[in-house]
Amino acid sequence: MNRTASVIIIGAIVIAMSIIYSGDSMSEIGGNVQNVEIRDGIQFITINAKGGYSPRISFAKAGIPTKLIVKTNSTYDCSAALVVRSVGFQKILKNTAEEIIDIGIPKAGEPLRGVCGMGMYGFQVKFD
Amino acid sequence: MNKYTFHISGTHCASCKILIEDILSEQSFIKKAHVDLKSEIVEIETDSDLSVDEIVRILTSKVVKNGYSFSAEKAVKIKDDVNVIWKAVPIGLALLSLFFLLQKSGILNLGIGGNATPITGLIIGLIASVSSCLAIVGGLVLSLSAKISQDNVSDTKTFVLFHIGRLVSFAILGGILGSAGIAFGVNFTVTSILGIVASLVMLILGLNLMGIFAKNKVTLHSGLFDFFRKIEHKTLTPLVVGFGTFFLPCGFTQSMQVSALGSGSFMSGLLLMLFFALGTLPMLMLLSFGASSFAHSKQAPLFFKSAGVVVIGFGTFSLLAGLTSLGVIDPLFNI
Repeated sequence: MNRTASVIIIGAIVIAMSIIYSGDSMSEIGGNVQNVEIRDGIQFITINAKGGYSPRISFAKAGIPTKLIVKTNSTYDCSAALVVRSVGFQKILKNTAEEIIDIGIPKAGEPLRGVCGMGMYGFQVKFD
Repeated sequence: MNKYTFHISGTHCASCKILIEDILSEQSFIKKAHVDLKSEIVEIETDSDLSVDEIVRILTSKVVKNGYSFSAEKAVKIKDDVNVIWKAVPIGLALLSLFFLLQKSGILNLGIGGNATPITGLIIGLIASVSSCLAIVGGLVLSLSAKISQDNVSDTKTFVLFHIGRLVSFAILGGILGSAGIAFGVNFTVTSILGIVASLVMLILGLNLMGIFAKNKVTLHSGLFDFFRKIEHKTLTPLVVGFGTFFLPCGFTQSMQVSALGSGSFMSGLLLMLFFALGTLPMLMLLSFGASSFAHSKQAPLFFKSAGVVVIGFGTFSLLAGLTSLGVIDPLFNI
């Protein structure tokens, strides 16, 4: 294999991978998914944790008491090891359960970020 | 007093000079020893009447366990084929892409319902061994195995010890988790930092495997390689590394630890973690013994360089992931 062929293959791999990964980051925004609801004056945001978090980006209201519900469903991968740094939450969730995390009263423009223990999955809740 | 100049091979770090000079000076018949790393020669002054070959033989026997050897003639260096790197990079990248596509495909997220039994532990172990955990645990195993094989240490014994250390410590720690219910190894900050350390080790070994460091020889001022060189020869080290993999950041390992924690007895916790470790064994065995057999084949230079590319990719991924989990950087990817 000569240098030119090698460079072409490297280029092709890099381009293919970046298309696959960039296309994906657009698709998982929770636009149509109803994962935010307000009951009795408390805002609940539901995130599913399995092989990553979905939806990856949620939109919720600022200024009202808010709780995060993280649902696991036979989740054994990293997404069960949840870290929400801004509220000091670190826990390995049960494999199938719902974890309710109180995140207080969020302020507008300060998104809430959660990541898994290894750092390769994450989600974000934007408040406005 | 006789003066001899010998060629030396196997030097790779600044501290090798000191180590070799120290060993040589300990020999009663050597009055003076000087190592020149750049030209890879050692000059000795001796008052013995031994023949040149005899001296070479004796001296080599003293340093061979550290991976060096002496020769009276300059060893014919296997010329590194420049083209090898142009083969190795695409191979390495292709393997990395396959790995990330596998993660992306979602087939690893198949549901395993119900309570965690040893059998589910085994299946989860199998999945974990090709999951993103492979990036850190597998990357570490691959890089260490390739390095050990490259240094011609008794690799089979080292690998067997590593796998035994891993199985036994998973079983025992699982048992302790089950009986005591103490949540050790679940502190995310500690595991993240360990993960970052492991990824740095991978990056350095990866660059080394690719031969990037070898070119300009005197490189790392730290005794890191010397440290590796030394610990490679200890029986305890592979056992300890095997033990350490229990604490590396891997979501599957962590959730199995929680299952073991909740299992309620020493025996159930032990079986759960043991079967999980057994599930990860085939892949890790493939990596370590595969590395060893490639390393002793004709394809060795290509293998080392391709492995270097893969290890650097895994190391970078683990480093970024570790920094993300510590909150240092924002998530860059979501595989």
